[in-house]
Formats: sequence, C-alpha cells, structure tokens
Amino acid sequence: MDSAIIRELRKIAGKDAVLDRPEELMLYEYDGGQDKSRPGAVVFPQTTDHVSRIMRLAHSTKTPVVPRGAGTGLSGGAIASRQAIMLAMARMNKILEIDVENQRAVVQPGVVNLEVSNATAKYGYYYAPDPSSQKACTIGGNVAENSGGPHTLAMGVTVNHITGIEAVLPDGRIVHFGGKTQDSCGLDLTGFFVGSEGTMGIATAVTVKLTRLPESVATLLAIYNSVEDAANTVVAITQSGVTPAALEMLDGWMVRCVEENVHAGYPMDAAAVLLIELEGLKEAVEEQAEAVSKVCSEQKAREVRRARDEQQRQLLWLGRKTAFGAVGRVAPAYYTQDGVIPRTKVPATLQEIERISQKYGLTIANVFHAGDGNLHPLILFDSRDPKQIEDSHKAGNEIMACCLRFGGSITGEHGVGSEKRQFMTAMFTEDDLEVMVRLRNAYNPESILNPQKMIPDLRYCREITGPLPRPKVEPVSGVPV
Amino acid sequence: MSTVTAQSVERQLASIVGEQHVGAREVNAAQIEINGITPASVVSPGSADEIAAVLQFANSRDLVVAPAGGFTQQDIGGVPARIDILLHTGRMNAIAHYDPGDLTVGLNAGIPFAQALKQLEEHQQWLPFDAANLETASVGGLLATAAAGPLKHAFGGLRDFCIGVQFVTADGKVAKGGGRVVKNVAGYDLMKLMIGSYGSLAVITGANFKVFPKPRRTRTFACVFGSLEDALKFRGQVLRSPLQPLCLEILSPGAQEYLCDPAPARDADHYTPSQPVVGPADQWQIALRAAGSDNVLARYRRELGAAVTRELEGENESQFWRWVSQFEHNVLARHRNAMVMYTHLAIQDVAPALQAWQRAATEHNFIAAGLGRVAAGNLVLIFIPLAVDPPPATQFSNCVAAFRGMLPPGSSAEVAHCPKEAKPYLDVWGPTPTDLTLMKGVKHAIDPRNILNRGRFIV
Repeated sequence: MDSAIIRELRKIAGKDAVLDRPEELMLYEYDGGQDKSRPGAVVFPQTTDHVSRIMRLAHSTKTPVVPRGAGTGLSGGAIASRQAIMLAMARMNKILEIDVENQRAVVQPGVVNLEVSNATAKYGYYYAPDPSSQKACTIGGNVAENSGGPHTLAMGVTVNHITGIEAVLPDGRIVHFGGKTQDSCGLDLTGFFVGSEGTMGIATAVTVKLTRLPESVATLLAIYNSVEDAANTVVAITQSGVTPAALEMLDGWMVRCVEENVHAGYPMDAAAVLLIELEGLKEAVEEQAEAVSKVCSEQKAREVRRARDEQQRQLLWLGRKTAFGAVGRVAPAYYTQDGVIPRTKVPATLQEIERISQKYGLTIANVFHAGDGNLHPLILFDSRDPKQIEDSHKAGNEIMACCLRFGGSITGEHGVGSEKRQFMTAMFTEDDLEVMVRLRNAYNPESILNPQKMIPDLRYCREITGPLPRPKVEPVSGVPV
Repeated sequence: MSTVTAQSVERQLASIVGEQHVGAREVNAAQIEINGITPASVVSPGSADEIAAVLQFANSRDLVVAPAGGFTQQDIGGVPARIDILLHTGRMNAIAHYDPGDLTVGLNAGIPFAQALKQLEEHQQWLPFDAANLETASVGGLLATAAAGPLKHAFGGLRDFCIGVQFVTADGKVAKGGGRVVKNVAGYDLMKLMIGSYGSLAVITGANFKVFPKPRRTRTFACVFGSLEDALKFRGQVLRSPLQPLCLEILSPGAQEYLCDPAPARDADHYTPSQPVVGPADQWQIALRAAGSDNVLARYRRELGAAVTRELEGENESQFWRWVSQFEHNVLARHRNAMVMYTHLAIQDVAPALQAWQRAATEHNFIAAGLGRVAAGNLVLIFIPLAVDPPPATQFSNCVAAFRGMLPPGSSAEVAHCPKEAKPYLDVWGPTPTDLTLMKGVKHAIDPRNILNRGRFIV
C-alpha cells in the first residue's frame, strides 16, 4: 500500500486508527468463510465524516475499499485484496437514539446485533432479526448481507426491519434514505440498499424497527426416528394454519454433536429433531402449541417435549445457536452451505445430500431453518488432505445444484460475497446481471467499493457497453465452474 | 413524434404483437386517457418478449410509453406532455404457479388481484393485502404504485412479501430479481426497487409472493372517542399491550359518511351530505381487527375494555373493511374535485399531521375526511372543496403547500388525486427524505432515454 495513502488515512482517522504492519493485517485476512487475502491497510473511522473523507481519498487515488463489520460473514464478503483499504466499522459502535414511542432505534453500523435488543428490552422491545452470530455480528454487516436467523420465519429478515439509512457513496457523498417512517415518497432506496453487500455505499447510521417483546413464548422439541418424518412435519405445520416464530431442524449427527457440547438434553439416539417456537398472546400460544404437538405426533414424532422454563428454553436455543461451534470441536474443518429450497422439497433434498455424502465419503451434518427451506449443510473435511478439500467443494457444488434444480436459491442469508459469485450465472441470465451491474454503477461506477463481490467475473459484467458474448450458463453437473 | 406518424408506429407494433392486439379494442376507450392526455397508440403484448420488442422499438424512436394494468390508478402523478404508446398488460393474466405446500405463488402482471386471491382461498391461504379495487386492479399496477390497505398494519406492504419480480427494462432487457423461495439474498433486491417505482423504471411482467395461512376467524372492535387526543391515547395503549391486531385504523369525523356502498353520482362539485351527518363533528373512531379463537378474542375484549362501542363479525365485518379500502374512491365518486393525499409519517407524527390536515383544509375552504393506518403512519387524507363553483387551481396548490409546511420533519405526503387542472400548479410528489439525485441516477441506469412514464413520477 502506498505510504502516502497510509499517511492520509492517519491524518483523517487518527494515528491509532490505521493498521499496516503485516502482523496486524493478518487478523483481517479472513472472515467466517473459506477465502483468505490480506488487505493493504485497515482503517477504523469513528464518524460519518471520517468515512466520507476516506472515500474521497480512495476515489481520487482509485484505491479499492472493502467495508467490514465483525467479520462473521460466511461468504467472503469482507475479504480485501492487497491493494485495498479495509474500512473496519468496529469503532462506530454507538446506539445514537432509542425512540420507544416511534418504535425505532438509530444505531451506528458497528453496533452488535444483540446489543440493540439488550438496550431496548427494558422498554419491552427488541430487534427481531437474530442471526446465529448475533452476539458478535454488527448491524452494518446485517444490512449489507440482509441477514436472517431462526426467527425470521415469522418476523422477516433484516430488510423488513430497516426504515432509514445514512450512507456514504464511493465518491464520499453522504446520502440519506428513508427515516423513522415506515416508507416514504419516491423510490424505496432503503430497501434496495439492504443486501447490496457493500457494493453501493457504506451505511454510517441505520434506523431499525423495534418490535414489542411477545407476552408468551413456547419452545417445543420434537424428536424423530427418521429424518423424513421430521421433514414432513415441517410441511404439515404450515398447512395446519400455524406460522411458528421459528422452525429449526437438526439431524442426528448434529444433535449428538451439539448435545456433547452444551448438554441441553437433546436425545443422543434421535435421527432428527425439530426445534419449534411459538410466540404471541398467551392464549394464542397455548392453542398453537397444542395444535403443533398434535401435528408432530401425527407425523410420527417419537416424543414432543416443551421447555418448562426460560432457562430450559435458552439451553435448547444455545444448542442451536452454537451448532457451528460444536462442529468445530470434532472436525478439523468444515464448509457451510446456505442453499434454499421450496419447503416441500426438504425431504428430497436431504436424501440427495445423504447420497452426496456417501459418494464423497464425507460427513455432512444438517442444521437449518426448516420452516423457510433454508439449508445449512456442514461438509466436514480434513484441511490437511488436498483430496478432501477438493471433494468438499465438489460436494458443496452438487448440493447447490440440487437446490437450484428444485427451484431454490444459492444463498438464503449468508450472501453471495466472493464465494458464490460464480454461481450467480446459474440463477441469473446475462440480462439479469447486466441490469444489476448498471444499477450498481449508479452508485459505484468504478467498482472501487467492495470490488469482485456478488457480481460474477464475466466479461459482460465488466464491460457492459461492449458487444455481449453468449451466456456461459452451460452447467457442469448443474452448476457452472 | 414529429418524424413518426401514429400509423407507422401502429404498423410496427402490429408486426410485434399482431394486428388484433393494437388499438384500444381490448380496453375501454374512456379508460386510456391519462390526466386528459390520450395515448397515440395502444398495444397489448402477450409475453415478456413482446414487451421487450415494443420497448426496444419505442426506445429507438424516443416514443414515450405508459404501462397500464387495470386502469385503477392511471391519474396518479404528473400530467405527461405526451404518451405515444399505452402498453396494456391485460393479456398476461395467468397464475404462473401456485404451490400451496410451499406457500408461494407466481402471478403474471396483468391478472386482477382478486382472481389470484380466489385461487388461494381454496387452500385456506391468502395474500394479506386489501388495497382498493382488487377486482380490477392488476398485480403489476398494484406493485408499481405500492398500493396498500388496512392490513398493512400487521403484514407490511407488498414489499414485505414479494419474493421475486420479473420485468422488462426501458431499453428492452427481459430481467428478474429474487426467485421462488421465501428466503433469498442472491443478487440485488430488485423487488424493492420495482415496488413503488410507478412504471418509471421498467414494465413489471410478473411477480412471486409468499402466501400466508388465512386466519380462520376474525372480529372487529370499533371504538369511538370524543377527541383525536383520546383516540391516540387509546392507540398508545394498544401498542404497549401484548395484542397483535391485524388492522388498526383511525377514521376521522368526516369519514363515516363515505363508509357505504358508492352512491350514484350527484352534482359532483358540491359538498352536500346524502343524509344528515349524525353525531358530533369531533367524533374519532379507531377500528381494530383481530384474528383467533374465542379465547383469544375474549382476551382482546378484556384488554380493550370499555372503549369498544361495537363489534363486527361475518359479512358486516367484511363489508366494513371493504368500505375502508374503497374509501377514497367512494369520496371521489361523490366529489370529483376532491383531493386525496397519502402520508408517510412516524408513529408520533400522526397527531400533528392530522391537526395540520384539518387546519389546512379549514383555511383553504375544504371539508376534511380521512382514515388510515394509525400505527404505520400511512393515512389517506382527503380535501373536499366546499365551493359551489369549480375551485381555482391555486386553492389546491396553496392548501398542499400549507399542509406540507406544517408536517413534522422526516414526513412526506404525495397527492394521489386532484383535478388535473390543478396539477401544473403543485408538486404532486413533494419533498422526500430519500436522496433524489440517486433516484435519478437509478432511473437513468435502466431508462436512459426516459421513455417510461416521462413526466409522471418523481424521477
């Protein structure tokens, strides 16, 4: 990185707010995904003005900038090249305003997701989207990825809970979208910004909706001797007219792994469990809990347990939310997928995953948001064995191809990032992608902001004005390489 | 259209869609006029590819195109200088796919919304959406205008359950965003961009939605208050309670009169009640709709207590909410010179906005009648002229300026309907908290020659 740029960054953000020594940069060369790359420098802005001045500097020197929240992302969205400045938002971590009467909070992007709920609980409110990493991940990152979580089944994902954004564009201009109102006159640029993976601008303040804490919560654990029965239950519950707040599934391997880690009372011999949560008015929750228990039993659940108290409930959820960590204890490495399928295809997809697992001789554990068909197969491998690394990727591609075959998506909540960029052509045509590139160019014309993310690296995406080559969408086992 | 004649345009259009689909044969000739401007040609393509061909042609000749669906909101927006082609999506009216087990449905843009709802009902499912005129309004038009009704309180707008959108850009690219699954973050969220873009970015050709189990039983609790202050105090109690109503609607004193089936048009310029308006003029109402079993409804009754003056169920209840949805159209059927405004307010700004509306109305010789989502800040506020003679355009423009001037910061309010003669004198869309330069940049990115709805939307 040019030392003149480093000097300028220090002038803007302060001497102690810029890292450029290799041993410091090492910590910023990875996120929660598989890719690695060391940035040229890391800068920690503390104000919107800092971000604006840094972007003006980057703009005038044509230096790429990669924003980063907590680095918990699983798609390599916060990976920066050697030429790039990493804009780490960790020090912009203030809750600027809690406006209980308007059911809104205004927060800086570096505020941790769970802190918003913790800060508003005393007023009887919380921030609904709850990614499993919510103890660490930040609102800025959630906005960039349009993060989900178990409770998004009933409550919606991040975009349904954001009403206003202050952002800095790649040329340093500070812009505003929306505010505390539910919507506003003109184009919905607030909604359009959410999920843009840091390719449109950098959010510097975010207005989030606060949701009333439910009066009553019931958490059920349904235990099955067959994965298929559990999967069928998912469809049956939604058909019964009940929309649970959360509907999660863990397969037998995952159940044992989690149980050894947290001792939540998950049965060690189950083939699958469903974790079902119902929220709302006391009377409604009781009725729904009864209805759901009945459906589970009809679908051959061997047992349906209900958490007796808050402590037991938290323990069950601890198992679910630390599932990835638990796998880390038993496997040297794992590769998480984030495919989505229509929910009636859950049984068929799980069979297919089992087949893929056997084909490559790799353990694939399943823990996922069954209610909305968002799978998280964890492919376990030994990173010291090149063959296993290769096979894990092949297995991942086959799972992805299967999701697409069933009419699904390559990512439900983790984002495209750098990891799934090349899969985009399997979901979108050349024209779809051209429209996306043109729209990105309205914000980020030279792609200095988070380059090489989301949009695949194809010639027609780089030079959209030139003659267009034919689409390269011939699939290799369903997915282009 | 100096270098091309309407005939040569129609010949070209006929070569794309077939002769029988050019001209106003498939639509009611009276409907196609937009704020007094008659489109030179009308075309009804049968597929996205045909729309693409029409738009490529229009784009290459700088012809202004106005998309149309059910013609229910065509007068919204500014008065266009000209419309060369009215592009009607009525032939694209199929349910593309419906998967009850997956709780998803895909609809073509031209299908009337109610037709799709009927299909869902067979599986006890629904789209929680109750905007006006659903029998005729098309899916594409409802998306383009970000229409909404009272159910927005609990379910949000179309943006909150539209999971995929298909469209054709102004220069003829057939494209899409999202997909068919309920959770999906691959690519930009083009649904958000298209919903509420008023046909100014692209022609929507279809959309996918997540559907919901339909509540098996609902009940409506009507509560009457002697003042706005009391009504809003009650709203505060509901919001702080654990209750989760489907709808929470406020109705102004003047609104009651229009909650009925449309009366035959009389002398449309006069404000004369069809029957004596009973009850004090400062009587505000809040209507709360809840779903659930007897037990759950009993709980609502307990929590709401003495405030409830009336309970509605069954056909009475459906009729009441139909009237609420149709409110502005009912008013307009009686007073064609009435002005309708939609507001976007923070929850606590509803009170000052309603006061501003009443004051602006009184000071500019209008009667105020309005209702809306009292906890979402989306109100439908109507100004009914008192004048016996047609009111001057400045009466409308001054009133709009006065009203907007009194709104709390961060609010916005657009004029959804007013006499076309007044439009040149006022800003239909008004100021917005969202960056306008960027909106124009987005428009330019996919409609570089500004052929779609030129002069009608904010961009």
